[in-house]
Formats: sequence, structure tokens, C-alpha cells
Amino acid sequence: MDQQILNAIFIGSIYALFAVGYTLVFGVLDILNLAHSAVFMLGAAITYSLVVNRGQSFWIACILGIAASAVMGLVIEHVCLRPLRRRKAPPIAALISTIGLALIIVAAVEQGQPGTFFSWLWVDGANSVAFPAGTIPNPTWHVGDLTLEASKVAIIPISIILMLVLGYVIRYTQVGRGLRAVAENPRAARLMGLDVDRMISLTLVISSALGGLAGILFGVALGDISPYIGRDNVEVRGLAVIVLGGMGSIPGAVVGGYLLGMIEVLALVVLGSNARGGVAFAALFLMLVLRPQGLFGAQLRERI
Amino acid sequence: MKRLHLVTWLAAAVFVAACGSTGGGSSNTSSYAGKTIKLGAILSITGAGGVYGPQSRDGANLAVKQINSSGGVNGAQIALTINDDASDKAQSAQVAQKLIQEEQDLALLGPTLSNSAVAVHPLAETLKTPILAVSTTGINIVPNCNAPSTVPCKYVFRDSLGEETAIPDNIKSYAADSHPSTGVLLVAQDDKFSSDGGTIVQNTVGQYNIQLLKTIKFNKAEADLSPYVTQAVQLKPDVIFITSLGGIPAKIMTEARKQGWTGQFLGGNGFNTATVSKQAADAGKGARSASAWYLGNNFASNADFVTAYRAEYNKDPDQFAAQGYAAIKILADAAKRANLTFSDLAGDRDKQRAAMESVNIQTPLGPFQFTSAHDVKQTVWVIAMDGVGGFTLVHQINPS
Amino acid sequence: MDFFIQLFTDPVAFWNSHTLLIAQIGINSILASSMFVVLYSGQLSLAAPGFMAIGAYTSLLMDLHWHTPLALNIAAGLLVAGVVGVFVGLPVLRLRGVFLAIATIGFIEALRLGVILNLPITGEGLGLKNPNADPLGGINLVLGSLLVVLFLMWRLTKGRLGSAWAAIRQDELAALSQGINVAQYKMIAFVLSALLAGFAGGLEAHLNFFVDPGDQQYGVTRAVQILTFAVLGGSGNFLGPVVGALVVTSLPWVFQQAQAYINVVTGLFLIAVIVFRPQGIVGRGGLAIVKPWWWPRRNVSAPAPR
Repeated sequence: MDQQILNAIFIGSIYALFAVGYTLVFGVLDILNLAHSAVFMLGAAITYSLVVNRGQSFWIACILGIAASAVMGLVIEHVCLRPLRRRKAPPIAALISTIGLALIIVAAVEQGQPGTFFSWLWVDGANSVAFPAGTIPNPTWHVGDLTLEASKVAIIPISIILMLVLGYVIRYTQVGRGLRAVAENPRAARLMGLDVDRMISLTLVISSALGGLAGILFGVALGDISPYIGRDNVEVRGLAVIVLGGMGSIPGAVVGGYLLGMIEVLALVVLGSNARGGVAFAALFLMLVLRPQGLFGAQLRERI
Repeated sequence: MKRLHLVTWLAAAVFVAACGSTGGGSSNTSSYAGKTIKLGAILSITGAGGVYGPQSRDGANLAVKQINSSGGVNGAQIALTINDDASDKAQSAQVAQKLIQEEQDLALLGPTLSNSAVAVHPLAETLKTPILAVSTTGINIVPNCNAPSTVPCKYVFRDSLGEETAIPDNIKSYAADSHPSTGVLLVAQDDKFSSDGGTIVQNTVGQYNIQLLKTIKFNKAEADLSPYVTQAVQLKPDVIFITSLGGIPAKIMTEARKQGWTGQFLGGNGFNTATVSKQAADAGKGARSASAWYLGNNFASNADFVTAYRAEYNKDPDQFAAQGYAAIKILADAAKRANLTFSDLAGDRDKQRAAMESVNIQTPLGPFQFTSAHDVKQTVWVIAMDGVGGFTLVHQINPS
Repeated sequence: MDFFIQLFTDPVAFWNSHTLLIAQIGINSILASSMFVVLYSGQLSLAAPGFMAIGAYTSLLMDLHWHTPLALNIAAGLLVAGVVGVFVGLPVLRLRGVFLAIATIGFIEALRLGVILNLPITGEGLGLKNPNADPLGGINLVLGSLLVVLFLMWRLTKGRLGSAWAAIRQDELAALSQGINVAQYKMIAFVLSALLAGFAGGLEAHLNFFVDPGDQQYGVTRAVQILTFAVLGGSGNFLGPVVGALVVTSLPWVFQQAQAYINVVTGLFLIAVIVFRPQGIVGRGGLAIVKPWWWPRRNVSAPAPR
């Protein structure tokens, strides 16, 4: 049973890191960025391609992967979001345009095979691949009944530090104040002289970088990288997490991530392995119906 | 003068009659000259089945190349298209629709996965197009492709040895060697191949006094298998049965070894390719499965096949390549005897089907004939992963 | 372009060699209509695949276990979907915009992964096989149903329901203040959408040899696809989503060489449409590409409520 708790913590960290990016965008923009799961996948895919197809060292590839994810954040802002803001379109429109971008990103990787248009990005098509053994040092320790794998253990401090840093930035720095101002009231923020567009770009960049990093950690620790890891593993679970934790709340996303990890493993052990998949969504549905603001969210105002 | 005239006429008549009879006879070598035999293969080149599909493709393409360059089938060239279904059932069905209706292929090969066959085979049967499965080994592929209906499917065939034979042979062989007493089964409950394999394991272990402590089910799309492996390992079984395919077996084996388990892995057809052996690497060393083919087998046409394959692709063939290769040979042989008209597609497809039932040729899998259920009965090779991307032979089990 | 050449020069042969495609277009059009109803009333519900699943499983299970006639099975599927629609709609319709979308995603995934995968009767992960499937004969049923559905859509949008929905979509609070029972009309739209989706699900189960709870069949991927029909075609009038369904479904058959990049193209279209022409292909204003000559020039999006 103890090992299962560890399993829950590891996967919970990834859920949490992913959800933080999700909730950040929602908090500042009131928009659900459904391209986030595609960026998660892209971070892992690019890092893998750099290591395996271009012979880069893992650490360099990692940095480049995160950078690419951050750039993708800018793409999301400029292609999907800004044109809609200019036309004062409702948030639903942004939902749809980010869905479109997610389709493109996933399809680009899916079609990446030797000799095709996207082969510079990825050559394994729809296959599921893993970093070759020995890409990074990954010793395994046995403590009593528990098995501790370095790559999985590392996720915990990385995630927690990042989330603490983000929290600090938002609360105590000027940039953070700017973001909060935009979240509160973009119009007033602009009137006060804030460059709202730049704040929004920054939000997307941070969010996407975190998403890409979560993807890399996922790929390393779980040994699974494919065009579908975003869609199958975190896209809908991410929604469950931010609903559980409260949409727009970063601490909520963190707590929600670990909570979901725990609930899933609990369901697995108690109800049988079949139940694991459905638990997240049952929780999501119930939470939305009973307490839409989640655990940490403020009372919901009317939002169209 | 008149007599010579008569003789000449008689000779001419005999000559014409002789020509006429050989023109309609069965052993002429060029009556399909100038025609094309269209075949379509539905394979999983990408996706979970993408570890098997490319080998089937390579084997099939090699056979097509060999046949086309040595006169074709009665003079006709084979045009084989390879169509990827991305290991997805619905996409597989869509591809099948296109190949049957739009492309108007004479016959089809595939699909790679038993899971996809559920959608594709009944469709081919309804649309009366012969289809030869090259790697599906699940239950009710043939003859009852429409199970639970017991009406046999006339147009569906397979050259891939079923799990119903392979898994029990594998378990029996290991039980005889090592007498394990407990096991845990890990099965992907939303994949037909894995699920069928699981059912067969459950039905077989009792016969060899192996107690199945638990059956752990998971969904094939889940990336995080550690909680399931933990459950299995915590029970400390002698054997872990893995009936999955694609990247899953290697993942389970790697994770189980990491968690300190040292028992024996027993698997199904999903193990039988170099990619999986390589992915599993050291963790998979010694993992056993039953295969329909072995690199070093002594059947008549195997050595030539292996040599030709190595020359063409710079790597060794595997079971899937052998089955793909054999499939083309089977289809070509049937086409040769089927008296195709090339102008009546429905009629030709039916003739092809009938001719396939009486195929009797040498293949790298051994001497090949379909059973009355359009299935396969052949030698079984129990193999073990060698930890470096290959396999060693453990036992050879001849058909009873 | 062989596709179009055959379509225009030899329609009979085209029909015969594309029956499966045409049937799929028909089903997708009905699904698109289901989407139309909720979008027209201003609700972004992504619940269609869930109701499809209910319709499909119900009708197939009835056939497999009780051998009842097809019409009864499909009717039952549709009704069960509608009833579930009421129960899902009650708690969910209080939510707005993005939250409604998320709740409906939660519903379809909870149904797919939580319920269907755990009920032995549904065949769990492997789904069910349908030995009585009729992919060739089913096309007449599908196209006939589609005509009925389209007629229904037409009447609805011209009538009081349509006006109310349009008002609600425009501005919910304003509609409420004008005396429109917003909650009731939204529920009607939601349940009607569930009925249509359940119907389409039952039809699809009849045409295929399998139903299974895969993501492409009844998951988020399917929901996005159906949304795409409605967005590309435009949800301002009832023909829009149908046109969207037609275009998106036939794309892989028309552009055979580029089949691999279909999703890239679809994604690009989606972004382009939403950013530049949110009313879709069949939309009022601007260059409406597809507008039949008999199209009544009525302004359907700013009605005077009664």
C-alpha cells in the first residue's frame, strides 16, 4: 500500500504542474486554453526528438524543449487569442480556436515520419516511444518495501519549487501585480497604463513553459511519449483538477493535482483497477454541480 | 492432291483444337498477361500496433517484388497498396471501406490488430471481399468473425497462429520446466487481443496447477502503469502473465524489475518481435512466448526467405514478416488457380475466395494449408527474449 | 479530383462505390443538427457523444438480448438518451459558458470511463459486436431520417422556440427580463439535442459491426469533431452544421493524397473560421459561400419575442 501512495504522489505532481498552467491562464484571461495539453505533449516530443534524432545531450534538449513550449505560448496568444480579443469575441470563441490549434499540433506530430513534411519535428508517427535507457542517470533505490526511482522522485522537488516560485512572483513582484491587475479588470489595467497585451503574452509563456516541462517530466518518469499523451492522460484530468481546486486558483491547482492522484490510486486499490479512469470525471462532474467554485475558488460571479 | 488437302485440313483442325484447349486449360502461363491484380493491405504502421505492422509490410512487399520480377501471376503484376490504420479500430474500418468500394481491390490483407479485426472482418464478409489476416491471433477471428453468431465467415482467412494454441503451449512448456505455483495476470481490458489472451490464460492455468492470484485490468491508453504493476508485485507471484501488445509489455517488465520482482514473465503474440525485445532490454531477458516462426527453422523455403529479406532490408525478418510474406504467396497461388476474368469484380472475388480454400504451398512458416475453418495449424516455437533485442529458442512443439 | 469527376459524370456508380461514406455523412449531419440546437440557444454543450453512446448501446443491447425490431430499438435508444438528458440537464444548465462545456465533458468521460467500462453488460472495454449490422442497407434509413430531422429543424427555427432560443443566445438576462422562461427553453434545447444525438448513435450502431467506448467514438475527440461541423458550417441557421458535416466528413475521401494532413487542415480551418468568419460557411453577412437560391431572406437572429 505504501508504494501506491508514492505512485499517487508522483503522478499527482505531474497533474499539479500541468494544472497550474491551465489555471493561470483561466485566472488571468477567463479563458480555457485547450491547446495546453498539446503543448505538454510537444515539450516531451521535441525534447525526445532532439535527444534521439539529433544527438543532443538531454539537459540541452530539455532547455530547448521548454523554450519551444514557451514560444508556443506566444503562438497561442498571437494566433488564437489576440485576434479574438480585438473583435471582443466571447471566451467560447477562444476555447474553439485553441481546440483548433491543439488539433494542428497533435496532427503535426502524428504525421511526423521519415520523409514527410514534419520529419524535422518528430519521426515516430503515432508510435509511443521512450527515452533510451541511460539518457539520464536514473538509479533506483529500495527502502524497505518501497522502490524509489530517481527520475520520479525528482519530480516532487521540481514541481514544488516551480509552484512556489510562481506563487512568489505573482504575489510579491511587480510583474505579478500586473498579472493580477489584468485578471481583476483588464480595462482598468489598461487605463492605468499597463501593457495588457504584454501581460497576457507573459501569462501564456509562463503557462506553456510549465506545461511543456510537465510533459518532459512525464516522458522521463513514465517512459511514454506519443502524440496522444496530452489527450489521453492530462487533458481531461487537468480539467478535473482545476475544477476540484477552483478555477483560477494556483494553490487550488496544486492541491487538486495531488488530490486527484490520491483519489485515483485509492479507487484502484479499493474498487478495482477498472475504476481508475472514471473517478476523475465523476469527481469533476460532482464538483461542478455541487460547488462550482472548487475548493479554493471564490464565489462564482456570473460569467458568460 | 485431294488427300494432301484433306490431311492439311485435318492437321489444321487438330492444331486449332489443340490451341483452343490449352487456351482454356489450367496450366497456361500467361493468360493474365497485361493485367494487374490489386491487393490492399490494412496494417498498423503507426500507433500501438506500429511495432508489428511494418514487418508485415516488409515481408509482403518482398514477396510481391519476387513474384512480379519472375513473371508475375500468370503474367499479371501484383499491385499491393499498404494502408495505415494507426492502430485505431474506426480508422481501420474506414480504410477497409475505401479499399473495397473505391479502390476495388481483389482481396485484402490484415488488419494488424485483433481489436481492429472486429470492425473490419465482418465488413469484408458483408461486402464479399476475401481478406487474409496476417497477425490477428485473438479468439473468433476465424471462422466465426461475427460471433456470437455461429454462421462461419466465408471470406475471412488467417495465416497467423491463434493464441488459443500458442498460449497454452507456452504455459505448458514453462510449467514442465519450472513448476510455478502462482501467477498474476495483467490485461488491457479494452483491447481484444489482450483480453482474449487473458481469457485463455485464465482457462489454462488450472490445468498446470498454477493458481491465478489476481487479474489486474487496465486501459491500454494509460501511460502510468505503476499502480497496476505495484499491485501485481506486492502479491509476490511466481509468474506474471502479460497478454498486451505494443509498448505495454516492455513497460510492465521494466517497472516490475524496478520494483524488485524477479519472477518469470509469460506472454503472447505481442512479444514476438525484435522491437519489443529491444524495448524490454535487460528487464525482459528470459521472458517467454510461443511464436509461429523462428529464424533458424528448417522448413524448405525458409532459408531463401531469410537470405532474401536480409539482402533487401539489412536486418533479420521476424514472425510478422514471415506471416506477411506467406500471405502474399498464398494470395498469389490462389489467384493463379482462380480463373480471374478481371472484368467482373464480384465474381472474381468469389473465385479468389474459393481458390484460397484449396491452397497447398511451401512457406517460411512450413507447408501451408488452411483448415476447414480457414485457420492455421502448424509448428509452435517457444522462444525467450535474450535481453539484447533478439530471441533464443527454448522448445519446438510440432502440431498434433 | 477523381472524386468530383465521378460524382458529376456517373452519379449512379458514385453512389454505389460510396454508400458507406454517404451514410456516414448522413449520421454526422444528424449529429451536427444536435449540436445546432444547443448552440442556437447559446449553450456550448459537448455532451452529444455521451447521448450517442446511450442511444447506441441501448438499441444494440435490445437487439442482442430481446431481438426486437430495429425501429423499436432505435426509438428506445433515443428515448433513454432523452431521459438521461433531463437528469443531466437539471444540474448542469445553471452553468454558463465555459463551465457548461467542462461539465458536459465531465459527463461524457464519466459515462465512458466510469459507467460503460465497468458494466459487464456493455462488454466493458471491448464493447459489443453487432452481427446484424447493415452498412449497405442502412443508408436509406439514414438519409430518410436526415430529411425528417432537417424539416424539424427548419420548423423549429421559424417558430416560437427558435425565436426564444435566438433571444436567449443573444442575451440571456435580457430575454429573462422580457418574460421568456429561459430555464425551460434551455432545457428543451438540451433534451432535444440529447434525443437527436441518441438517435444518431442508434443509427450508427446499426451501420457498424461494433460499438465500443473508445475516445474516437464517444469521447472528447468525437465531441470536438462534432463541434467542428457546427463551427465550420455556422450555427446561425439549421443548414450550416449540415454543410460543415458534409465538408469535414468527405475531406479524407476527396483529398486522398493529403489524407494524412486532414487534422492539420481542419485545425487551420477552425482557427480561421472562428477568427475571421465566426458565422461559418453558411452564415449571414459577408460572402456566404453556400446559400441555396430558395433561401428565404429572413433575419433569424434578432426576432421580436412574443
